[in-house]
Amino acid sequence: MTEGAKRWTCVEAGCSYELVAADVPSAIQGAQRHIAEAHGSFELEEMIEDVLEDVPESEAGSWSQPTP
Amino acid sequence: MATTDHQDLDPSVVAKFHFTREMIEGPVYRKYQKAMRKFWSVEDLNFTQDARDWATIDDDQKRGLLGVTVRFLAGEQNVTNELVPMLAAAQALRRFDWTVYVATFLMEEAKHAEFFMRWHKEVVGALEPEEVAQHFLVRGKTIDPSGRFKVHDVLHEALPYYGRRLLESTLAGTEAEIERAFIAFSAAYNAFVEGVLTMPSYEIVIDTTTSWNAFPTLRQGFKLILMDEGRHITFGTYACKLLIEKDPSYEEEVHRVFDKYRGNIVGLVEYQKAVPGLDLGKYQVMKVRHYRNRCREMGITPDDTLIEQIVDPTIDFVVGVEAG
Repeated sequence: MTEGAKRWTCVEAGCSYELVAADVPSAIQGAQRHIAEAHGSFELEEMIEDVLEDVPESEAGSWSQPTP
Repeated sequence: MATTDHQDLDPSVVAKFHFTREMIEGPVYRKYQKAMRKFWSVEDLNFTQDARDWATIDDDQKRGLLGVTVRFLAGEQNVTNELVPMLAAAQALRRFDWTVYVATFLMEEAKHAEFFMRWHKEVVGALEPEEVAQHFLVRGKTIDPSGRFKVHDVLHEALPYYGRRLLESTLAGTEAEIERAFIAFSAAYNAFVEGVLTMPSYEIVIDTTTSWNAFPTLRQGFKLILMDEGRHITFGTYACKLLIEKDPSYEEEVHRVFDKYRGNIVGLVEYQKAVPGLDLGKYQVMKVRHYRNRCREMGITPDDTLIEQIVDPTIDFVVGVEAG
C-alpha cells in the first residue's frame, strides 16, 4: 500500500457513503466508524485496507468528510 | 555481502532459495508477519465466567446458542482438515510467500477449533462427538417454498470437493489447471464460506452475548478469531485477484461457485430465529456488503441477480428449517 490520501466507499445495500482520508490508518478508522454508526456492524481492518484507492494530490487537498 | 556478479552460479543451487526483496515487501508476506505479531493462545483465556453464565440461562437460550457454537465447532475442525490442498498448490505454483502465509493460516484454523473445543468442554461440559452432534443444525433439511433454491452444506460438501480437485490438479495438472482449481477452491473457502456466509454468524454471537451481558470469553474468542479471518479472507481474494489478472477467464470460476451455492446465501441465517430478539434484517442485508467487498477485493464484477435475491423480501426461507 502506497503512502498518501486514500478513498474508501461503503458497499452496504443502499449506501453510497464515500470518504477520503489523509492516510491508511485514518481511512480505516473512518470506515469502521461509518459501519458501526450507520449499519450497526463492523468491518475488519484488512477488508478496508485491501480496497483503498489512491487519491490524486489535487483531490486530497480538499480532504472531505463525506455524507452518509 | 551483496554482489551483482551472478554469472558463475549454478541455477540448480539458486533454485534452492525462495526469499526475494520484492516478496518480503509484498502484501502476502506482510500478512505472515502480522499473523506472527498478533499471535494469541487459547490457554490464556479464562472460561470461568462463561461457565457461570451457562448455569443461569434458560433452555431456549441454551438451544439457540448451541445451534451456533456447535456449527462453529464442526466448521473449524473441517476447515483445518481441508486447507492442505491450498498449501500444496502454493508450493506447486512456486509462490513461497503464499506457502509461509498459509502455514500460519493452517495453524490459526487449528487454534480456532481448539477454542471451540475448550469452550464446549469447560462451559457446556460437552466434548465427545456424540455429545455435541445432537445440537448440530442440519442445513440439508431446508425447504424453499418457492422451489427455486437448493441449500447445501457448503462447508462439508463444497470444500472437500474443491479441495480434492485442487489436490489432483496440483499433483498431475498443468500450471493453468492448478490456478483454475485454486480460484475455485479459494472462492468457495475464503470468499464464500469465510467471507460472506459466516460473517453474519460472528455478528449474531457478538450481538447476542452483548445483549445478554453474558459469555465474555465466547465474545472475546469470536473477536480474536475474526482478526485472523480478516487475513485469511483477504489472502484468498488477493490470490484470486492476481490469478484473474493473469487470465481473466478465471473469473467465471468464482461466479460458478457462488451460483451453485446461492441458496445458502439468499436464505436467512438459521441462527437468527434460533436466538430470540435479534434484528433479522441486519444480518441479511450485510451479506450484500460482504459479497460486494469480496468481489471488489478480487477485482471482479458482482452478480447483480444474487444481490437482488439477497435483499428480496419475498425470499424468506430459513436455512436449516423445513418450512420457511
